[in-house]
Amino acid sequence: MANTSTAPATSAAPAGTGPKADTTAGTGTKGPGRPPRRERQGAAWVFLSPWVLGASVLTLLPMAVSLYLSFTDYNLFDPPSWIGLRNYVQMFTEDPRLLRSIGNTLLYVLVAVPLQLALALAVALALKSMRRGRNFYRSAFYAPSLLGASMSIALVWRAIFNDGGTVDNLMSGLGFHIGGWVNQPGWALVSVALLTVWQFGAPMVIFLAGLQQIPQDLYEAAAVDGAGRWRQFASITLPMLSPVLFFNLVLQTIQAFQVFTPAFAVSGGRGGPADSTLFYTLYLYERGFTASHMGYASAMAWMLLLAIGIVTAVLFRTSRSWVFYANEEAG
Amino acid sequence: MPASRTRASCVAAVAIALCATLSGCGGGPSAAADGKVTLRFTWWGNADRAARTEKAVTAFERAHPSIDIQTSYSTYDSYKQKLATQAAGGDVPDLIQLDYRQISQYAGSDVLLDLAGQRKHLPTDKMDPALLRTGQVGGRQYALPMGIGTQTVAYDKKAWRAAGVKDPQAGWSWQDWVRALRKVKDDRGSYPMTDPGAAEDQFEIWLRGQGKKLYTKDGQIAFSAGDLARWWSFTSALRKEGLVSPATDTTQMSGSVEDAPMGREKSLAEFNWDAPSAGYEAMYGDRLALAPTPTGEDGTFGQYYKPSMLLGIASGSEHPREAAQFIDFFLNSDKAADILGVDRGTPVNSTQRRRVLSTVTGFQKQVARLQTSLQGKLKAPPAAPPRGDNGLQSTFQRDYDQVSFEKLSPREAAENFLTEARAELRP
Repeated sequence: MANTSTAPATSAAPAGTGPKADTTAGTGTKGPGRPPRRERQGAAWVFLSPWVLGASVLTLLPMAVSLYLSFTDYNLFDPPSWIGLRNYVQMFTEDPRLLRSIGNTLLYVLVAVPLQLALALAVALALKSMRRGRNFYRSAFYAPSLLGASMSIALVWRAIFNDGGTVDNLMSGLGFHIGGWVNQPGWALVSVALLTVWQFGAPMVIFLAGLQQIPQDLYEAAAVDGAGRWRQFASITLPMLSPVLFFNLVLQTIQAFQVFTPAFAVSGGRGGPADSTLFYTLYLYERGFTASHMGYASAMAWMLLLAIGIVTAVLFRTSRSWVFYANEEAG
Repeated sequence: MPASRTRASCVAAVAIALCATLSGCGGGPSAAADGKVTLRFTWWGNADRAARTEKAVTAFERAHPSIDIQTSYSTYDSYKQKLATQAAGGDVPDLIQLDYRQISQYAGSDVLLDLAGQRKHLPTDKMDPALLRTGQVGGRQYALPMGIGTQTVAYDKKAWRAAGVKDPQAGWSWQDWVRALRKVKDDRGSYPMTDPGAAEDQFEIWLRGQGKKLYTKDGQIAFSAGDLARWWSFTSALRKEGLVSPATDTTQMSGSVEDAPMGREKSLAEFNWDAPSAGYEAMYGDRLALAPTPTGEDGTFGQYYKPSMLLGIASGSEHPREAAQFIDFFLNSDKAADILGVDRGTPVNSTQRRRVLSTVTGFQKQVARLQTSLQGKLKAPPAAPPRGDNGLQSTFQRDYDQVSFEKLSPREAAENFLTEARAELRP
């Protein structure tokens, strides 16, 4: 998000490192023996300085600039001109494509995240009960998560689902010819969602770790009481796993709201066909870099930050009623 | 004392190092140790153009040993974005290749140098004045056209002839075009041409064929929603009749031959500019032919000679004289003409134009023949499109997507386009 404003900020970066790095280096080098408190603080700052500089120059400064730009009309060529809240007002009153992009993104989050988590949990359960080759399968299922975010996989995905691609040929063979998923307004979003679902490796590994934490004696006791597998899953596994489930849910939801690469690659950067894969971030990118409305794009970035914040807060709120922590019971 | 002196020199060393970094990023004065002047030259294109450009650059460097040219290139879409970001950061390369649609923006924002000051290093007397005007904004020359191109219909000659259609000649009308499409379709069964509805360039030709145009002199939209709705109704009717490509094929067009229906050998004809049509040669070989675009019903030509691309100098360049010498070499010298051929369109310099047109072979010869057949028939090119026009081509395509997928009627989509276009053109 913040990268919409890196251009002005990075050019200022080297200038900022100069004097600061020098003054901190100067205070840390006085006299032998145990230095007084202030000196030690100085040393702390010296060691912290790379991080502090990195955070302030590469993160906080660009964020501040982007916040400023969000109140301006800025086309990259002429100096930004202050227009107050106009960008924000325009977003919700005169931009039907923005509403379209919000709708697409919400639909995508609601479809892709539950599917992905369900698949991750299912595979984690299967792997847990596996005796041999677990490590191999764990790596095999995790690999897509490492590769999936890359442009190249998204392009391969496009080729697979394109007109005449593997999936298209397969479906034609079965008698369903739809001429490539990525070229149909109704199907393109599905192919993008599938790309995300396929990258279930990261939540799967976390689920697996969570499953291994559940005490085995709970299951044994339940078995003695005559509980079947489904009963065990519903009454032991799910509640015991709920903190991990919650963690995965929050993380994947935040990621899903920021989905960009798959849609960018699958739609050739345009969010097509007919705006069906126009996600919020894709539209933000288009406003900023294709249409040169950097101020508007910055405002969109801040609205996204706000929206993700709200959704996360809501998730935390609902978690009270369904997330079960072992130590609650103990206390 | 010595300690503080050490520190002082440390500070100085760091400061110098930082300055070097800054100027490295900033692309400031870059006179190398051996006194060479370094110029940065950036452009868009493909591998073939890269090879020809590098060869021409090497020839220039040999003729001017004190000048070193660093080149960089990418595809058009990423080029546009990178250049805009560089302009925002004040880091524009010395020599910039520009599209017709970028001129107003870059000249208006003082990114480009007024070439009047370099006239003595950069003669333009062999160039067509009407074409030179395409690089002017507000009466000043900010860039020079690098080549001349025109719209054409690229088609599979063999398939069209097999269907009994005569090779189209200059002056064929849109009705002739539709009749030809019907014949080819009856013969082949499949659709004979790519739907031109998504391309603003084709709409412009159609519009000009009726004596209208895209923009007024002061940069406002010059056509009505009714005009656009009629164009989109026309192409939609053809699509429904199966004469042009269906929505799923049309929507894949991205500007590259590989994504175009004709490039994927699904379509037998396509509107395109003449020089880039060379991309189809790999698939069609000798069967590939070029025809002029259809004219209005009264024979008015809509197509025009367009600068395929232009070359300008950054206003912040430290070496405008050397940059002008390079442009002079690139556009006016025999050597560059022989190397570049018609890769960026046919040469603008009339002497070089004759030289190149008489020696070209293969597909380049077809381009030469087409341009010769249109000599004296075409109207002058329109002035450079106004600022804000830059993104409208993709808006046009997107709005037509809504029509071809039958989400909106031609009228509704046309109203949408005009609303968006007016918003973008707002100063």
